[in-house]
Amino acid sequence: MDPARAGKRAECDGGGLVMGSRYAARQEFTGTLTGEYYDEGDPPWRWYKMIDLTRKPNNYPFESVWCEAESLFPIDE
Amino acid sequence: MTQDPLHTKLCDQLGVEFPIVSFTHCKDVAVAVINSGGFAVLGEAMHTPEDIEADIKWIRERVDGKPFGIDLVLPASAPAESSLDEITAQIPDSHREFEQMIMEKYDVPMPKESVDLHQWGGLSQALGRAQLEVLLEERVPVIASGLGSPAFLLDAAHERGSLVWGLVGRTRQAKRQLESGVDAIIAQGFDAAGHTGDMGTLSIVAEVASIAGDTPIIAAGGITTGRHLAAALCLGASGVWTGTLWLACRESDIDMIIKERLVESTAADTVWSDSISGFTMRVLKCPWTEEWKKPEAPRPLASPYQMILSSDYIQGANDARRPDLMTEASGQGVGFVTEMLPARQIVSDMVEEALGVFDDLVGLPD
Repeated sequence: MDPARAGKRAECDGGGLVMGSRYAARQEFTGTLTGEYYDEGDPPWRWYKMIDLTRKPNNYPFESVWCEAESLFPIDE
Repeated sequence: MTQDPLHTKLCDQLGVEFPIVSFTHCKDVAVAVINSGGFAVLGEAMHTPEDIEADIKWIRERVDGKPFGIDLVLPASAPAESSLDEITAQIPDSHREFEQMIMEKYDVPMPKESVDLHQWGGLSQALGRAQLEVLLEERVPVIASGLGSPAFLLDAAHERGSLVWGLVGRTRQAKRQLESGVDAIIAQGFDAAGHTGDMGTLSIVAEVASIAGDTPIIAAGGITTGRHLAAALCLGASGVWTGTLWLACRESDIDMIIKERLVESTAADTVWSDSISGFTMRVLKCPWTEEWKKPEAPRPLASPYQMILSSDYIQGANDARRPDLMTEASGQGVGFVTEMLPARQIVSDMVEEALGVFDDLVGLPD
């Protein structure tokens, strides 16, 4: 947990590889960070969990999203 | 004018003759551009770590020590929960019926083999990480991230002598990456092939260049000529990132049918559509994209649902090699891709035209 991030609203300039293709695709989210994070590998590649999504791609099927730390932009700060 | 306008800080950073970066998925194109005085970045996002290692070796054996880059799609977000089987089961019947209507209307053959979506996968953080380990281990001269921020690997890359480039679609992403110390920023505009941000190339290149300081900016999106190269340098870029330009070149390994379509196409033959993947991306128009634009069409689904829906059409069209059905990502600069030229000639033509533009504008040194 990262208490400093918990409850903070943020935007994520997210995205990933389009499944089945070799193309990248951007996806933008706005929501609230829970403060949960995990690090992938070393050097650490940090990911934060965002919920209560008020902006997400059309028909995005999930309630939450993991956001790469450097792709997060805090709002209301 | 007192100096060569095409000798930029990007040339100095890389030790290359021309500030032309080829982004390609074809190793032969990459090698040809590198050996013609340009620079090439090989897209390896869909490759396994083992394949990437082999490709790096293959290129090194053919470029006589010259630098090259590898591009990965580092994800910037990932669903917190996902099961492909559950997702597939959630596709509405109305969308399945529309897919079937298109398949029947255009007599699209079913794929020769079932499309294995699990094998395709998405790019998980773990796989991205494993791919990166290869690039670090191999000390690849340039590591480029086609989406997510590469900031977390900067120290590790620099310790190994690798440069790190990030591709951005928004100025705030560039600012964040510049603050973290990336070695170059690729500013990609709306004209580009595939998925782009919504800022035009003119706007984003100028904006990012205005905040970049000494960090080279590489302009991307719709760039296919020497005039584009000259314009990009005038905007403050130190080089250009070109993709569509190489798809139809002689060394390119894409299907000849697609090459012929690209050569015949103009910007008007491209479409920004979310019907293929659920993400908006610029591709050549095809019956699939056009049917989904009609008023009676259902709204395309999000990714990955829409990709699952379109997969039989795409694979069936490719298996049958039907020119009337096939599509490919293509930028708006495709109208200038009018011949299947060798990569060396494309580099040479681009340089000559750009120099001609500068000569017309301000005169060149003898």
